[in-house]
Amino acid sequence: MSAAPTRPAFAHASEAELARILDFYEVRWTYEPDTYPIGWNLDGEVVESFAPDFYLPDLDLYIELTTLRQKLVRKKNRKLRRLRELYPDIRIKLFYARDFRMLMLKFGRMALIDELTGTSGQATPPRSIEPEPAPVEVSAVDLPDQPVPTEDQPATPAPSPPRGRRRGRRRHHAIATAGNGEPKPLERSGGS
Amino acid sequence: MNRTADLQADIGDVLLTETDIAAKVHELGERIAADYAGRTITLVSVLKGSLPFMADLMREISLPLRIDLMEVSSYGGASTESSGLVRIMKDLSASIAGEDVLLVEDIIDTGLTLNYLIRYLRGKNPASLRICTLLDKPARRLVDIPVDYVGFEIPDQFVVGYGLDYGEQYRNLRFVGVLRPEVYGTAD
Repeated sequence: MSAAPTRPAFAHASEAELARILDFYEVRWTYEPDTYPIGWNLDGEVVESFAPDFYLPDLDLYIELTTLRQKLVRKKNRKLRRLRELYPDIRIKLFYARDFRMLMLKFGRMALIDELTGTSGQATPPRSIEPEPAPVEVSAVDLPDQPVPTEDQPATPAPSPPRGRRRGRRRHHAIATAGNGEPKPLERSGGS
Repeated sequence: MNRTADLQADIGDVLLTETDIAAKVHELGERIAADYAGRTITLVSVLKGSLPFMADLMREISLPLRIDLMEVSSYGGASTESSGLVRIMKDLSASIAGEDVLLVEDIIDTGLTLNYLIRYLRGKNPASLRICTLLDKPARRLVDIPVDYVGFEIPDQFVVGYGLDYGEQYRNLRFVGVLRPEVYGTAD
């Protein structure tokens, strides 16, 4: 007998709720499987990244939920815009608080909306908010050993951001199952 | 939901009048009849919301046709505990193997139910499977599915009437209207 599937530790109750909805309708998902670099410093080190909440492999679609306060929504919008600029092939849908409320309304779960949204819905202590990358003064940068650029020898350009899908660090995988511990096939073999 | 519906006061704007709906259903019926000319089709209605639409649409399709009904459980409940999996509450009464099937929906918003139904019905090996919906709310879409026949594309508002409900009420309205936010307890 297979063990009960292990659920990921969702950061917010709204994420857990969306996972339940996707499970109910037999839509496969993984939770935060990919991290996309979206900001680099002059040394080419990643200073900012974005890890969408859900990836639906059969739909090739990421879903990002945000039901928190407006300040964090603005930050997330900015990161999402940057993500789309850098990785235009990625399909991602952003669910705001209103979108989530409408989803709960559709499913007759408005009574749970306070429990599932906002700070009261956080399942874990708030994640540390990544500070905005501080502007770097050129004079303060300790440049690696590089030849001084001359007219004959242009400066080495800053590293280009990687292109294409899922170049980031692959993180937690939690392939959802349909309740029996086995991956649920999508196509039914026929018959009622 | 214990509150008794007030069929007049609970509705804000009327989105689609009875006349609007009748005209569109007639138009859809003619298009479907033209597309399926010479064939027999099976209309599959997804209970309960599509019942009025199905009843009116079938009478606008001047072709030999069969009808069948399905009901699928919906996610929901008052608890955050798991609701299990979607279930077929009422399955088709006859085989659709080799049949031209037209799935009739009242509204498509997230696409979750439709996605499930399409996979399920395709497993029954119909000759063809197309989708007809009276209302399409693309702003809510999670699963992108091509829909063959769309009556109206509507804005992102919670609508009731002409089969659509809130808490099993308002289905008998002859029009499609926007439910007042006060009815469901929150304002956007």
